[in-house]
Amino acid sequence: MHSYIIVYFDVRGRCEATRLMLADLGQPWEEEVVSFPTWQQGDLKKECVFGQLPLLKDGDFKLNQSNAILRYVARNHGLHGKKPQEEAYIDMIVDGVEDMRIKYVKMIYQNYEEGKAPYIEALPNDLKHFESFLSKNNGGKGFIVGDQISLADYCLLDILLVHLVLAPDCLKNFPLLAAYVQRLSARPNVKTFLESDAHKNRPLNGNGKQ
Amino acid sequence: TLFRSDRLIQRAAGHSHPQFHTPHSAARTSGTSQDTMAAQYTITYFPVRGRTEYIRYLLADQGCEWKDDVMPIKEWYEGKVEQKKEAVFGQLPKFTDGDFVLFQSNAILRYLGRKHGLYGKNEKEAALIDMVNDGVEDLRLKYSRVFFYEWETSKDTYIEALPNHLRPFERLVSQNPSGFLMGSNVSFSDYNFLDLLQNHVVFAPDCLKDFPHLQAFKDKMESRPKLKAYLESEAHKNRPIHPTRKV
Repeated sequence: MHSYIIVYFDVRGRCEATRLMLADLGQPWEEEVVSFPTWQQGDLKKECVFGQLPLLKDGDFKLNQSNAILRYVARNHGLHGKKPQEEAYIDMIVDGVEDMRIKYVKMIYQNYEEGKAPYIEALPNDLKHFESFLSKNNGGKGFIVGDQISLADYCLLDILLVHLVLAPDCLKNFPLLAAYVQRLSARPNVKTFLESDAHKNRPLNGNGKQ
Repeated sequence: TLFRSDRLIQRAAGHSHPQFHTPHSAARTSGTSQDTMAAQYTITYFPVRGRTEYIRYLLADQGCEWKDDVMPIKEWYEGKVEQKKEAVFGQLPKFTDGDFVLFQSNAILRYLGRKHGLYGKNEKEAALIDMVNDGVEDLRLKYSRVFFYEWETSKDTYIEALPNHLRPFERLVSQNPSGFLMGSNVSFSDYNFLDLLQNHVVFAPDCLKDFPHLQAFKDKMESRPKLKAYLESEAHKNRPIHPTRKV
């Protein structure tokens, strides 16, 4: 039995993939929303191993680092692959999504005005890798790794959704990814979550840019 | 491009390091994942330590053999090699275990971590090891940016800020009776962190002076017999940290 609490700022940011996964699992969780003044006060920061949020609490267990949180939750619920090679490919995709997220976050927080257009122009260089990898798994008609949904799918779905906000056309040359987003978003629990006020009212990023 | 090298680095076809595998280790196994000693591991990477030396530390320490497939930097970044198009994210390292091909250095670490019992003794320990490895990765990213791209401009500010980045790791080790980063036994994150600490000590020899637990960690790791033998090997010593700069 798990009782998850996500401790984070009021953003989608590095937690929305975890929220998507929990929602799709039908696993309830609580949110402890941290305001910026609270964060700057410093006590919570000292509790965090690397001085950062998010923090996940599961009973007495505390965990930092968003991708560690994703992996922990995934493993608890059988979403980290069924055999070693699958687990490894899931890790590989999660890391590839992370690489993309780092670039996205840098543009959003450090260089939105001037960096947005060149960033969007360069996007196909990243998206093509996912399109290609997806095409090799069941013709791209299922999940990103293996034949059941995994942590990698929630990460990839999340990063694609935030990029569709940034650049609504960005998947026009990537038909498999576009269909993949539609397909995963249509899963009943995912659909309910994406249409929820909690999700819709939560800003993508902390500086209002998206 | 990531690296500029004026020296043409000859691609060494099927280069094997003599100390760590026999020339006959090309024989295929049946691919059973339990048979770790007969596993056919290959690392494809540039002729630098970069994101692979800590994978080699893990393998050496676990008594595994592997083959090093050296990719010349210039050829790779000119985009001419087929392998770049085949690489899932267009990047190295590439790792193979028999027929199985894997990319992303941390995915490789985790794969080997699972295979060789270096991933903690339960789910919570595994999660904490993931957490600390991600922290190591965050520092590695900061270090790499400065070390490979902004050395002249940012070296001094980086060294000045370094204690703030090392402090969380000092705290982690100080809280762990085993002396490893996390958990009661060595984990994949320890090899990653050792390599990162060593790289820092090279250009900031005093950086551990206020961090006795990190110094003890480094000493402890470096004295593990098989790892020590590898650290003293020509293969390791001849593999540079930077492709052109003498650090």
